[in-house]
Amino acid sequence: MTAPSFIDPAALARIGDLELVARWVVEGFLSGLHRSPRLGFSTDFAEHRPYVPGDDIRHVDWRLYARTERLHLKTYEADTNTDFTILLDVSASMGYAHGTISKLAYAKFLAATLAFFSQRQRDRVGIVTFGDDLVEVVPPSARHLPHVLHVLERATAKGASALARPIAQVAATRRRRGVFVLVSDLYEPAAAVASALAPLTGAGHDVIVMQVLDRAERSFPFDDATTFRDLESDVRMPVTPSRVRAGYVAAMGAHLAAMRARLGSHRADYTLIDTSEPLDRVLFEYLLRREFLRTAT
Amino acid sequence: MPALLAPLFLAGFAAVAWPLLAHLAERERRDPVAFPSLMFLERTPTPITARRTLRDPWLFALRAAAIAALAFAFARPVLAPRASVLGADLRRRDLVVLLDRSFSMRANDRFARARSEVGKLIAAMSVGDRMTLVVFDRRARAVTPTTGDAAALRAALDSVALTDESTRLAPAVGMAQQLLAASDAPRKALVVVSDFQRSAWDLGPDVRLAAGTEVLPVDVSGSAVVTNHGVRAVELRRDRTSGVERAIVSARLANAGEAQRHVMATLEVGGRVVERKAVDLPRDAGATVTFTAITVPPDPVAARVALDADALAGDDAFHFVLERAPVIPVLLVGGRDAPFLPRALAVGDDPEFDVVARNAEGATAADLARARVVILADGALPAAGAQRLTQFVEQGGGLLVLLGERATPRSWPAGARALSPGALGAAIDRGGQGGAVLGMIDRQHPALSVFAGPHAGDLAAPRFYKYRPIDTTAGILARFDDGSVALTEHAVGAGRVLTFASTFDGLWNDLPRHAVFLPLVHQLVRHAAAYRPAPRARSIGESLRPADLAGAGRDASARWSVVAPSRARLSAGGPGGSATLELGEAGMYELRPGGAPEAKPVLVAANIAAPELDFTTFEPARLAHALLAAGEAAAPAAATSAPASIVEREAHQSTWWFLLVAVALLLCAETLVAWRAAAYVARME
Repeated sequence: MTAPSFIDPAALARIGDLELVARWVVEGFLSGLHRSPRLGFSTDFAEHRPYVPGDDIRHVDWRLYARTERLHLKTYEADTNTDFTILLDVSASMGYAHGTISKLAYAKFLAATLAFFSQRQRDRVGIVTFGDDLVEVVPPSARHLPHVLHVLERATAKGASALARPIAQVAATRRRRGVFVLVSDLYEPAAAVASALAPLTGAGHDVIVMQVLDRAERSFPFDDATTFRDLESDVRMPVTPSRVRAGYVAAMGAHLAAMRARLGSHRADYTLIDTSEPLDRVLFEYLLRREFLRTAT
Repeated sequence: MPALLAPLFLAGFAAVAWPLLAHLAERERRDPVAFPSLMFLERTPTPITARRTLRDPWLFALRAAAIAALAFAFARPVLAPRASVLGADLRRRDLVVLLDRSFSMRANDRFARARSEVGKLIAAMSVGDRMTLVVFDRRARAVTPTTGDAAALRAALDSVALTDESTRLAPAVGMAQQLLAASDAPRKALVVVSDFQRSAWDLGPDVRLAAGTEVLPVDVSGSAVVTNHGVRAVELRRDRTSGVERAIVSARLANAGEAQRHVMATLEVGGRVVERKAVDLPRDAGATVTFTAITVPPDPVAARVALDADALAGDDAFHFVLERAPVIPVLLVGGRDAPFLPRALAVGDDPEFDVVARNAEGATAADLARARVVILADGALPAAGAQRLTQFVEQGGGLLVLLGERATPRSWPAGARALSPGALGAAIDRGGQGGAVLGMIDRQHPALSVFAGPHAGDLAAPRFYKYRPIDTTAGILARFDDGSVALTEHAVGAGRVLTFASTFDGLWNDLPRHAVFLPLVHQLVRHAAAYRPAPRARSIGESLRPADLAGAGRDASARWSVVAPSRARLSAGGPGGSATLELGEAGMYELRPGGAPEAKPVLVAANIAAPELDFTTFEPARLAHALLAAGEAAAPAAATSAPASIVEREAHQSTWWFLLVAVALLLCAETLVAWRAAAYVARME
């Protein structure tokens, strides 16, 4: 396997077109891996073969027999057409950018890439954008990729964020098990996040949490004493960075550690993403973690 | 601790507070910074007073150092003398100290400072050091042998007195060269303690000290301007209108410093005040005071013009000898019909010409005996007097021959052949051509030097219609435009003969009608008489032979008793004695023949030499550069500045320049550090 060459997020930001970005990332990613396009969250593939004596008759496709009067076995039938839903946080805090690309822009690329990828896996893709309430909802469908991309295009960062309510609303409307990918900066206590995700995890959904943070949010590299303004609440606070930096970094580290521990214990797959990291590398590492690559080869 | 030339600039150190506050203060941005969440931040208002830690201490150190170095550079630091002439660098070495004691050292407190500096040198001597104290003015004299005895050196220093002499460096440096050359010490140094008058510089280009010798000029001229007034010269204008010789005395005064009003100028003759006049002296300028005419006594008398005394009293009086105008007795033979020559000679007043006119046959031996110059107006020489005239010239008399109509080749008797410059030819008549002019004129010759300067008269203007050619190639002073000889000179015994190829009667030429006639006649007669004007006043430092003085007789071997102005008794001439007398004091010298204390004295007035009254100085470092080879001039040059004035030391050290270079380097380093810090922050962000 050759080492993939990763794409600078800033370069993606200059492209702008989400579909093009998603296609570029996915095609380039797959091309680099020499993978079959039949990769993805849904590994189910149906295959018929003629019945031979000794085969388990429970796998005979009786419908096909009714049409053709020939016995064929459905040798494998997985969960095809899995519902793949992206839960995208579009609160004001996601609009933060210390560098060239905001968290929301990065999250859009990430969501579009995942949606495009899932579409190629023949999943049904949908999206839910939310702040402290639902903003837009596109239910999963095999034909909803354009809608998903359109919603992503229109998404702007505004308002406050609170996971519990919008996730509870989403969970209440989904009966079929599926995959939920939460893309957010998760500025809530880890316990609250875990609690908010409980309706999904409790319903058996596969929940993937991608916490998107700007590098400045972790290192707090500010120098000048000034007033800091909360993007969501507009609260202002005088801060002397040199005096609070150490405490901030420690608190943020503890927050991330707690998030990882809590979500892990709640059967949610947690990934921390830095907006300065190449998008395809994030995808690559994520798939490795999900062990989908093993099935794809 | 270095001295500072401009210590007020040290206030610039306060500017260090600027980077200090900047680095202590937390920079506060005016616009709030949007941030995703404040949940991990705590309120920390910008402290106003509790700024305890420095941000970017290296950056602060560089900035503070740059500001401090800049302030220090502007303060013009002067490093302490490099172990100074007072310190350890002079240990175990032979030191020659040249101490200036000339007249100019009387100004302000120069000599006291000079003594103090030498005293410090003596006090700083260590075991093994040796010193030779040499005092100098126009001459140099070692007042101590080379010794390490500080007490002897101090005693010699205390005995040094100022003189009225002028300053010359060459004799002093020459003596120092000899002393240092004779020294076997591993280290040698020459210290020159002087005011470094510009007029003292008389060093040749090849004067060099041995390699390794240190030259340490100690400038004691100080920064104070010399304020001084004095009498610089006296002029006499003679007046004989009343039949009695009178003289109008004018004195040229000089003033350096502020203007002075009603300064009294006094004319004293023979020790008696004749007249006092108040004069106003303008600032840094001169003035002239003219006294009422006085009758000149028959015998020379001491006189002086004096001003009110000031701090530098030596030049406040100008001494001169008041005496009657000198007289050149002239015997004019022939030419009595032409009045131009007697009238021209009658005009002279300094010297006067006492003319006795005779025809060629009327001149007697007595006439010849009283004359110093004989003028043969038409070149006719009586045969009877030829022998006497030849003897007259051989004994030092002068003869001026004017070749006229009767000066034919046969008119010169055989006994007077020596008086003829050469064969005389037939007269040449150039009247038809508008006359001849003088083509070549030797204006460097003493007989014609009065015409050397600009606007001194045009000798080429007169027209010569007739002249008599002279066949000679020696002693030619002038030629006509056709190359014929116009004026010659040749010596006969102790005297001299001047021969002019034309006349002064206005017939053969129009010379008497030109302005150059009078000075030409006077100068030719003076030259023929070997006349040298006796100075009314001389300068200190001059040497004279008493036998050469007017009225002193001509016995060169005679001994003279001299009374100096300080009433010190000296002697000159005589067996075993110096034939010359050197004038070393300002005032009136009285010279009498030895053994004749009651005789009338020959008076010689001496005054401060004019160059010594010019107080402008030269750069002391120039001395070090002149005395040291080019390759080693740099190192001693720095040392020489040490004991000099602080301004000179600072100028030599140029410490400020190095500090500015350091500031530039610090700022470069600051830029580099600041850039790296900014790059680091950028990476962090």
